[in-house]
Amino acid sequence: MAKNMLAAVRRTAAVLYPLVLLAIFWEVLSRTGLVSPRLMPSLGAIGTAFVKGVWSGEIIHHASVSLLRALSGFGIAIVAGILLGVFMARIRWFEQLVEPIFSFGYPVPKIALYPVFILILGFGSSSKIALIALECSFPIAVNTYFGIRAVAPRLIWSANNMGADPFRTFFRVLLPAALPSIMSGIRVALPLSLVVVIVTEMIGESVGLGYYISYASASFMYASSYAGVIAVAIMGFVLDRIVIAIRNRLVFWEPKGAAQDSSPSPLEI
Amino acid sequence: MQPSTEYLKAEGISKQFLRNGQAVVALENFDLSISEGEFVSIVGPSGCGKSTFLHIVGGFEARTGGTISLAGQPVSKPGPDRGMLFQDYALFPWRTVLGNVAWGLEVKGLDKSERLALARKYIDMVGLSKFENSYPGELSGGMQQRVALARTLAYEPQMLLMDEPFGALDAQTRELMQEELTDIWQQNRRTVLFVTHDIEEAIYLSDRIIVFTARPGRIKADLRVNLPRPRSAAIRKSQAFMGQHAEIWDMLREEVLRAKEAA
Amino acid sequence: MTALRKSVACPARARSTLRGLIGWTLPVLLLVAMQWAAGRHDAPRYVVAPTTIAATIWHLLVSGELYVDTVASGIRSYSGFVLGATFGVFIGLLSAVWRKAEAFFDPLVSTLYPVPKIALLPVIITWLGFGDISKIAVIAVAVFFPTFINTLYGARATPVRLIWAARNMGAKRAYIFWHVVLPAALPQIFTGLRTGLALSFIVLFAAEMVGSHNGLGDLIMRSQDAMRYDWMYAAILAIGLLGFISDRILLAVRRKLLANKYSGEANRG
Repeated sequence: MAKNMLAAVRRTAAVLYPLVLLAIFWEVLSRTGLVSPRLMPSLGAIGTAFVKGVWSGEIIHHASVSLLRALSGFGIAIVAGILLGVFMARIRWFEQLVEPIFSFGYPVPKIALYPVFILILGFGSSSKIALIALECSFPIAVNTYFGIRAVAPRLIWSANNMGADPFRTFFRVLLPAALPSIMSGIRVALPLSLVVVIVTEMIGESVGLGYYISYASASFMYASSYAGVIAVAIMGFVLDRIVIAIRNRLVFWEPKGAAQDSSPSPLEI
Repeated sequence: MQPSTEYLKAEGISKQFLRNGQAVVALENFDLSISEGEFVSIVGPSGCGKSTFLHIVGGFEARTGGTISLAGQPVSKPGPDRGMLFQDYALFPWRTVLGNVAWGLEVKGLDKSERLALARKYIDMVGLSKFENSYPGELSGGMQQRVALARTLAYEPQMLLMDEPFGALDAQTRELMQEELTDIWQQNRRTVLFVTHDIEEAIYLSDRIIVFTARPGRIKADLRVNLPRPRSAAIRKSQAFMGQHAEIWDMLREEVLRAKEAA
Repeated sequence: MTALRKSVACPARARSTLRGLIGWTLPVLLLVAMQWAAGRHDAPRYVVAPTTIAATIWHLLVSGELYVDTVASGIRSYSGFVLGATFGVFIGLLSAVWRKAEAFFDPLVSTLYPVPKIALLPVIITWLGFGDISKIAVIAVAVFFPTFINTLYGARATPVRLIWAARNMGAKRAYIFWHVVLPAALPQIFTGLRTGLALSFIVLFAAEMVGSHNGLGDLIMRSQDAMRYDWMYAAILAIGLLGFISDRILLAVRRKLLANKYSGEANRG
């Protein structure tokens, strides 16, 4: 027990180390006036702005709007992405029909379609949620597809050998076997949902963290702007940890993912 | 035990490591000497420390105690004096066969024409001249191991270390590779330390067989293989061969069972 | 469905042509639907006939307007990409062989990965103005992350045996770095580059839509304001094409460098 706690403390320290260094570097630059303290407010000023924003509920308000949008789009993407991936992997003609969209669409920035979404769905949340859903479903679908295809045929043969019908085989064998891949896709898609929501909120919007950050910046309230960035950072970080935790619960048979530990480098030999 | 000149001399080798917080003693005060030009095999149950010992001789794993010397010089880090052959071939996938075999010569600093000539000589020795421009990914396991062999021989190490080199191959390829190895070895009789769990392989290839006990590894038996050289394929069926096989297997069996009980 | 069954009996050539054709079904359907919808008198303004769009593209190409914006966007995204990728690969390799660098960068990057770097855009704009530099800076920062992570993990994943074999042959650490670690990491470095490239376009267009005087993203916003939706579609298509072609170029480079050498790895996609 104690050993786990020690390891956790060590991990946290490892993460804090560079952040602390950066913070010191920042403070030095700000206080000595090397960079204009208007552009680079001291950490104290940023901290104050952050606390004020949270206390007054302003940051919380904008953050919850952004969060809600991001999660809604993300949720839709998970369902749509997994369904698409499964159908592509199992139904030949569907794969042929849909696959080109994925391979052609991959390098195309779907965000360029945002204006079209605005036209169809208006400036509010729905256009954003739709775009998020579109953007995030790509990695989820692709990873699901590859995950299911990569399931060792031997696993399926074993299931059939033991008399399992197609339904049971699908839900009890295929999905669990593809789960690591699916979770991988979900983890990749999460930051995308945040990117899209923030960007879309910077364009002609009046609520949300993206709006908050750009408005504060345009009004010369730089400390508040940075505070908004920190709020986004916290949101992104926490959500990622949640996804990792869920992943470790669901995929309990595989070792924890790369973000959890750094393996010792063989190059040090 | 037969007296032997001490070309490779390992004295008092100990190896301890931690696993899940527990101290594991792989080797304890282990001594071994090998004569120049001798082909020595080590057989033993899984986990007995035979590979660990080989890695220590090669310098890839640190020992907790003891000394090793080759031809009178102490050794501890990896180096081209002890050429190593790995079970998974360890070929560089981005280099052709020729590129791989010439790699050690590049490190040595030979100029291009010398390198290529030497590399080609050894590629020819293992019978892969037609494949010198192929990539490892295009070759079968047996072919890859031959490339690895050519690569190790090319920089002419003082002795060869082989870590279950044929373990990943199918039984038929394995037998053929053993025959090829002994043919090649016949030509220049380098000192070889060979680790395997295949008794037949050990008897076929070696002059001397060391049987390891279960962990911590100690020498259970140090046997001479008195079969005539050069070794032909037919020798596997001779009485002497089978007798020795039975003898070693009984010893090994004892140790394997002991290892299972200890686990 | 029967056509499909027949194709099973056909020689492989016919089958792959069929597969290619099926892949076009959805896009063609979409174009046809748009054409039809645009013809109706009650169609909303933003539904534009593909024929009209094609004509507009031609017109814009001929007049050179599209060209100017495309070049502006292209320069920004490629500059940002090259800048970010260079740093990402260099520091990634550095971190793979130098513990201190790894201790600083790895936790930093892993923690900040799920944070949308685009949130820094307003801040960077206040620092560097509305011109090219601010956009290139944001893109570079965003591209740094995936290239760093993939380079680091790729280098770390160098099979230990290869390093042992190299040491066995007498190579020193520096030599091993250039001649073993780097080649071994190359496939994964390319994965990082590909992700970074896609990311660079997303960030580019976000940045241009938020604040720019020219470029394809800005063209989209201008078209919207002017209600010239055919221009808008033209710009979107240009964006898509830019991203797509860049990706293909990268893939071609990858194929050239890695073909055959990594048993299957580089032959994918």
